[in-house]
Amino acid sequence: MAVNTSIVNTTDLILARKKIKREKRKQFFSTIGQNKAAVVGGIIILLYISMTFLAPILAPYDPYAINLQDKLQSPSWAHWMGTDDKGRDILSRILYGSRLSLGVGFSSVFFGAFFGIILGLVAGYYGKWVDTIISRSLDVMLAFPGILLALAIISALGPSLINVTIAVGIFSIPLFARIVRGSTMEIKQLEYIDAIRTLGANDFIIIFRHIFPNILSPIIVQGSLRLATAILSAAGLSFLGLGAQPPSPEWGAMLSSGRDFIFSAPYMAIFPGLMISILVLGFNLFGDGLRDALDPKMKK
Amino acid sequence: MFLFMIKRLVQIVPVILGVTLVVFLIMQMVPGDSAVILAGEGASKETVEQLREDLGLNKPLYEQYFSYISNVVQGDLGNSLKNNQPVLDEILIRLPVTMELAFFSILITIVLGLIAGIISAVRPYSFSDIGVMVVALLGISLPSFWLGLLLMYVFSVKLQWLPVAGWDSLAHVILPAITLGAGGAAIVARMTRSSMLEVVGQDYIRTAKAKGLKEHVIIYKHALRNALIPVITVVGLQFGSLLGGTVLVESVFAINGLGRMIVDAIRTRDIPMVQGGVLVASLVFVFVNLLVDTMYKVFNKRIDLN
Amino acid sequence: MNSEVVLEVKNLKTHFISNKGTAKAVDGVDFVLKKGETLGIVGESGCGKSMTSLSILRLIPSPPGKIVDGQVLLNGKDLVTMSDEELRKIRGNRISMIFQEPMTSLNPVIPVGEQIAEALRLHQGLSKKQAWDKSVEMIGLVGIPSPEKRAKQEPFQLSGGMRQRIMIAMALACTPEVLIADEPTTALDVTIQAQILEIMKDLQRKIGMGIIFITHDLGVVAEMCDQVGVMYAGQIVEHRSAQDLFKNPLHPYTQGLIGSLPKLYEDQDELQTIEGTVPSPYDYPEGCRFAERCPFSTDICVQKQPILVQYDEDTKVRCWKYTDEWQNSLTRGVVIP
Repeated sequence: MAVNTSIVNTTDLILARKKIKREKRKQFFSTIGQNKAAVVGGIIILLYISMTFLAPILAPYDPYAINLQDKLQSPSWAHWMGTDDKGRDILSRILYGSRLSLGVGFSSVFFGAFFGIILGLVAGYYGKWVDTIISRSLDVMLAFPGILLALAIISALGPSLINVTIAVGIFSIPLFARIVRGSTMEIKQLEYIDAIRTLGANDFIIIFRHIFPNILSPIIVQGSLRLATAILSAAGLSFLGLGAQPPSPEWGAMLSSGRDFIFSAPYMAIFPGLMISILVLGFNLFGDGLRDALDPKMKK
Repeated sequence: MFLFMIKRLVQIVPVILGVTLVVFLIMQMVPGDSAVILAGEGASKETVEQLREDLGLNKPLYEQYFSYISNVVQGDLGNSLKNNQPVLDEILIRLPVTMELAFFSILITIVLGLIAGIISAVRPYSFSDIGVMVVALLGISLPSFWLGLLLMYVFSVKLQWLPVAGWDSLAHVILPAITLGAGGAAIVARMTRSSMLEVVGQDYIRTAKAKGLKEHVIIYKHALRNALIPVITVVGLQFGSLLGGTVLVESVFAINGLGRMIVDAIRTRDIPMVQGGVLVASLVFVFVNLLVDTMYKVFNKRIDLN
Repeated sequence: MNSEVVLEVKNLKTHFISNKGTAKAVDGVDFVLKKGETLGIVGESGCGKSMTSLSILRLIPSPPGKIVDGQVLLNGKDLVTMSDEELRKIRGNRISMIFQEPMTSLNPVIPVGEQIAEALRLHQGLSKKQAWDKSVEMIGLVGIPSPEKRAKQEPFQLSGGMRQRIMIAMALACTPEVLIADEPTTALDVTIQAQILEIMKDLQRKIGMGIIFITHDLGVVAEMCDQVGVMYAGQIVEHRSAQDLFKNPLHPYTQGLIGSLPKLYEDQDELQTIEGTVPSPYDYPEGCRFAERCPFSTDICVQKQPILVQYDEDTKVRCWKYTDEWQNSLTRGVVIP
């Protein structure tokens, strides 16, 4: 009898918990909706994503077609953003390039998030020596200033867009891992997790079914802000000639070739940079807004 | 305080070991036979075998790592594959340039960031606040290499006020330092603002008001000193991305610093040079962080005990 | 007794306006402080006593707080309508304040001696050296040993009791006419409490300032105060001398408060309590705010708000029981006492 009551109570507890979660989610979305920054950021991101799909429809020219007669033309009605040193239409290249720049950003952040989340969950949930080993390794990764870790990795793997994705992804791992670790340690201590354990859930179920969904919001915030940095880093590496190689219309690479014509054809560098800036701004706005919506304390 | 320093120094030893391990492993990650790569293209089989023997590349990995560390401790970072000169010599020529750039950039980060943050915090939600915060948001969103090109286009090409590239005079420093410091300044401004707004709500600010102090005394003497404490940490972290950023900015402005050296080395696949450059930059960052941590500890001690 | 009035608060109203509505934290407070006297303002937490004390020097957080009505007269001059600059010259100079939390009320990064000295330089125009010497003197005066050494220390090096002494030294450095003490001993140990109260009384004799003592502790009131204002739901409900108040409380709320005190030498089976809860400052009832909890409540109490009436020469009370209307209603037999 006594055992029965305890199970009923535990189930109640879990149900109540789920209800709270639903309420919270509803509130969360309405708060985001009210946050102007998040809405503007979200719209920018959506526009860019639709650009990747619509590039073949929207692009007026072939992004790779070399036409030396029309090289280095200033922006005009025929070429809204002008043409580059090989006579290619910059607008078309930028539209197609969105696939590369966004692709690298999203893939590297997914890569970093995937490993970072697993490491963070394991470190936060098991604690003790497991945590010590993981945390110290993360410290080492964070001891490399800025993109130097990514540079080191590329130096070994060789320059290419895929290697840039891997390198930027690896350098995102510790940031996700640290946030996930902290949130996991917090959630682990809640009564509700104990209740589930008494119901016979194993570690795997507890970690992935019960802890992970609860720490999703900080991960999403971090993901958005991280995307901003990842896109900047990847573009930077391509700018250095270590990522996408010409004639790729990746924006960093386009900027890099535009640099040589900064005196005569500044628009070659201006437009790709502008595209990167607006996209990064979008992710920053969205991430900031999300953070404010999730954690009103941070809103200052 | 002395004890704290010792403790922190002991704590960073494993971090430094980890950094050397990662840098050491770069060589191992290179696809193919490292002896062949180190010997360079077109080397004879005998040369490759000789090199393998000399560098101990036929030994187990951990032995190679220990000999790498003992070399590093003795200041031997290996030789460049390009000209066979010691890597350390090249680094010692390049590092001062990068440190000079980093110094001026962090100066801009701190000064500009603080001023902007204070302007924002003094009148929250006013036009000046919103304006500063919008600029700060742009500051963290613009790619530094693009900002550098734009500045170069406006100030060097169009207005011809400043030199385009190079590293000869103070005038050469201005644009690169602004380019590199701008992102950090934006972050410091945002942090200063939120920190100030938090401090302004504290009890001791009410005490200061109750004392009849003038507003500027309250802001600069009572609020700012406390608000700066969390900003110290942010500046420390910014120094890291700033060091990383030298790679880009030195390339944009054709400055022969450590960052450009690393990039050139990657292009020519001069792996020992990359290893040396990354290692030295990371060590600089680790020690700057130690310094910042200590500073934070000194200032924060007063608040910790509350 | 000297009967010169230093500070008079008339119909003070401080409201907090937010999207939740208007919280009438202070809603028509009247009291009088005479020179050299101590006036206790007592009430439960949330009754508005702290907000009243902050409103006097216009220190309420604004927005959302706002003084919407009333006067605060310092020797006849109204602080509510005064310019910021004029008021600033009064703060810390003619009216000083001590706060409840000594742990957080001192600036953590400035030596305590400097925190006292800066007010002296500002208000009394002392030189750096003079101000510092006076500051050290003040620290000695509040009973802190080796004041020269302590003055150079920062708050984290001092105990809670010492920090509150520093607060007192700071408040009294410019020999103010009025000292507002907002629960100055609540956060301290009982033994330290007694020392702090002793120091305050001692300095009051030396300096002769009037003290407004905000507290929820009737024991402290009995020890410290000459006059008492009892606050309930944003208003003063009884204002009279401490002696009379404890001997013969008039307002039913005061009676309840005093009745709920444990008595050391009497045999009590259980402590009295006041039933019910304080009404929300967002939504006060139309009639007497205590009516719901009052054992004597009648129709008129629920219908109409009582005003603060003169009971005798130095006693005011806000209760229908002490009005002609009450007598009338009694004769009509509405209430059988």
